[in-house]
Amino acid sequence: MTTISPATASAAATESSPVALVTAYFGRAIDSLASWTDLLADDPRRARAAAPVTTDVLDELVEPYARRTFDSVDLPVYGAGFIAALDSLADARSHLAWWQGADRAKLVLASQSVNKELIDYSELEWYRVPQSTGHPHVAGPYVDYLCSDEYTITVAAPVDLDGEFAGVAGLDVLIDQVERDLLPRLRAFGDDISIVNGVGRVLLSTSARRETGDSIRGAALEAFDRGACPGMALEVLTAR
Amino acid sequence: MGSTSPAPASVQPAPSASQSSPRQEGQTDAVTIAARSGRPTRLHRAVFQPIGDEGRAALVERRIADAIIGGVLPSGERLPAETELARSFGVAPATAREALLGLRERGLIVTRRGRNGGSFVSDDADPAAFARRTLAETSRVALRDLAVHYLAITVASIELAARRADPSEIAGIRTRLERVRDDDLAAWRRVTDDTQIELAALSQSARLTREQMRLQGELSPFFALIDTDPDARHDNRERLLSVLAAVADGDEQRAVALTREKVHRCVEWLIELRESAAPPAAPARSASARTAAEAAPPAAPLNPAAPSAHHAPADTAVDESAERTPS
Repeated sequence: MTTISPATASAAATESSPVALVTAYFGRAIDSLASWTDLLADDPRRARAAAPVTTDVLDELVEPYARRTFDSVDLPVYGAGFIAALDSLADARSHLAWWQGADRAKLVLASQSVNKELIDYSELEWYRVPQSTGHPHVAGPYVDYLCSDEYTITVAAPVDLDGEFAGVAGLDVLIDQVERDLLPRLRAFGDDISIVNGVGRVLLSTSARRETGDSIRGAALEAFDRGACPGMALEVLTAR
Repeated sequence: MGSTSPAPASVQPAPSASQSSPRQEGQTDAVTIAARSGRPTRLHRAVFQPIGDEGRAALVERRIADAIIGGVLPSGERLPAETELARSFGVAPATAREALLGLRERGLIVTRRGRNGGSFVSDDADPAAFARRTLAETSRVALRDLAVHYLAITVASIELAARRADPSEIAGIRTRLERVRDDDLAAWRRVTDDTQIELAALSQSARLTREQMRLQGELSPFFALIDTDPDARHDNRERLLSVLAAVADGDEQRAVALTREKVHRCVEWLIELRESAAPPAAPARSASARTAAEAAPPAAPLNPAAPSAHHAPADTAVDESAERTPS
């Protein structure tokens, strides 16, 4: 991937600043996806040379990468997989080759309570941003009504096939897990530190008064020192 | 845990016959814990009952049947293969098979053999007919109660969305909504349901969003009936757009007030339709009316009535069957 590479996460516990801590944390996901998206691109290329790629073929190709992601990344990964570019498969307009949950079950959309297969994901943040920028993206927090049905962060990286956008490789982490994981470490830096996303939405805060999901925008931002996390649309706000 | 000795049997209130038989380790523990905490053991024992696969087939069957009846799985749609179904529902393949068998017996799905075979939603599955029948069979009090539940969840999620959404997020929803012509009824219903769920998701509450999805699925067939009336549909469209505008403005009170009005209008419309279409204890008007009302949907589905059938709420079952159009 050609993006600014976030700090590779060797230093787990001893980050020098909250920005470094957050960047390293989500950087792990970006690094992991980047490492398998290049490999993944080879298999569909070979498969496509032989025959049109169908959803079944894609599922088979993606599964080992998705499964590996659960164990190989030092993150509480809830779901992982590959979302095909619209109209890129032979037998379906859209498709999510996705595994999730404690039992890492394959996502089957047709059995869900609304017809999620008809949901056009082309405008969802985790698909739209990597597609338009060509770079990995940390999307959310958002209620993921398509896959996890939980309050989620999706890290997604674009996959190109012969110079053509083929879809995004992604992984989900639940905010619930991120809070357990990251909040104790963030507390070491202060008692009013918040992680916010590109629209000012609070991902989590060391201050119990700042609610996850609320926003800090406009004039309210003046009360904080702001630190941008390189390579991802996240900021760390520290109360002055 | 300090003590390992189980509580004496006499401590347990109202021992039943089954308690005299030897119990498994797990059950002993559950009962012991219950006795220790002084709560009734009957409730506790119910908690630790084995779930088994019995009843799960019915659960799977109902989930799919609801989706077919609600129009979520339309006619001709292919269901996932048996093993895939089993995996996604987390049941044994035999359970999935049993559920499919039940659906087949009810005429909701058909199974074709061969290379492009599989289970498909039956061509006879007509959501509009199901919805009209369900509406007629639902009591007014149940319908009002459903509306109260829907309103409670929708208002709560809209209020939070108005507080938390970024205007750019509403702009995206609005664009998707405006791209769909409202005279394509199926597409319009889908995009409207999606809009409601996306709005709920902007509350940033996973619980509210899940509940909105469930309720939207339950009410969607009713909303689809309302859509068949062009005036009601246009009215709903305008109301939805003004809710979106209020949420984009961050105006919680206006968004909530508009949502209340919108839902109330829908319920009034449905109740009116219900009262006019199925007068209680009406004398049989004709044999065909009785047949239409009583026929089991998979065996003899009612065709979707032309939109005009819902213009005048005075239409009766007789009029509807007279207005049948080939679909």
